[in-house]
Amino acid sequence: MAAPSAAGLGRRLRAWLPRIMPVRWSRYNPSYLEPEAKKESYQKPLEELTEEEREHMELKAVRPIKAAPPSLSSSVFSDPMISKFTNMMMKSGNKVLARSLMSQTLEAIKRKQLEKYHKAPENEKETIECNPYVIFHQALKNCQPIIGLSNITKGGKTYQVPIPLTDNRKRFLAMKWLIAECRENKHRRTLMPEKLSQELLLAFNNEGPVIKKKHVLHKMAEANRAYAHFRWW
Amino acid sequence: MAAPAYPAWVTRWVSGQWRNKKRPPTLRPTRTLALADRVANRREQSTEATCITEMSVMMACWKQNDFNDTPCAEEIRMFYDCVAKAEKERKKQNEDTVLSRGNLPSSKVNKLLKRFPQITRYV
Repeated sequence: MAAPSAAGLGRRLRAWLPRIMPVRWSRYNPSYLEPEAKKESYQKPLEELTEEEREHMELKAVRPIKAAPPSLSSSVFSDPMISKFTNMMMKSGNKVLARSLMSQTLEAIKRKQLEKYHKAPENEKETIECNPYVIFHQALKNCQPIIGLSNITKGGKTYQVPIPLTDNRKRFLAMKWLIAECRENKHRRTLMPEKLSQELLLAFNNEGPVIKKKHVLHKMAEANRAYAHFRWW
Repeated sequence: MAAPAYPAWVTRWVSGQWRNKKRPPTLRPTRTLALADRVANRREQSTEATCITEMSVMMACWKQNDFNDTPCAEEIRMFYDCVAKAEKERKKQNEDTVLSRGNLPSSKVNKLLKRFPQITRYV
């Protein structure tokens, strides 16, 4: 597989160069490569690499690399879902506050579960889940709707038609429902970590208002299943 | 005898000009007689809704089990598989620009025509 001709590529790239050279923007020249954050990929010895990885390494020697965004982390503790949830909780760009709230939430979950663990009799101790990350992921998965409704206009009238949702949309809806539930339907003076930990634990056990909201959506989709033929995709 | 000099109207009358030729034009085009650079929007009556059977099976299971997800895991998995397959089909079909149906979709035709417009005047 021959590399593209250097002269043609150079001409095309020069034609693309804007007057201001972006350094940390999201619009880059197509020749820029993505940064690699995982430490394991750099610790592999040269012999173990496959053909594509060897070519990729040679390419990285000649091409420039995009600036790493601040959300990209090589730490073992970073979790993309938790980052996404923190971003959704953030207000007016106050990432520090959102991150501290998130860590307090996880700590609150751990404390509650440990309390339950120590009070439980011996035979039930294995069933209690203490890892807050596992609880967070399972709760989000339980909150995700499977089928959604969309407005489709036909013959002048709008109908609510059941449609399949993409993974991104499901995750977004689950997170949004959780956060909205905590912000709106709780007592004014409860703090966010407390409310959130309570909601996450309820969702982990398939109870609580968010799961109920998901069931309501499913019931409406089931009631409107006759309109499913209005979809054209 | 020399050629008789008739008045002009006599020659014109004899030639039949008044009968055939001097008529107002039958065609008065309001727009220029040239092809436009776009075609009309044609609604493609192409695809129907996909995965209806899987969805109805899943909903029947929901009705029996009071909308719990754990007993219906198999039906939900089948529904997801069907949706993923339909999505892939749609992506693949979009690239072929529906040549099997005989005609290109009107949006693609418009894009092509815009690249090669009709020349209406020479500078």
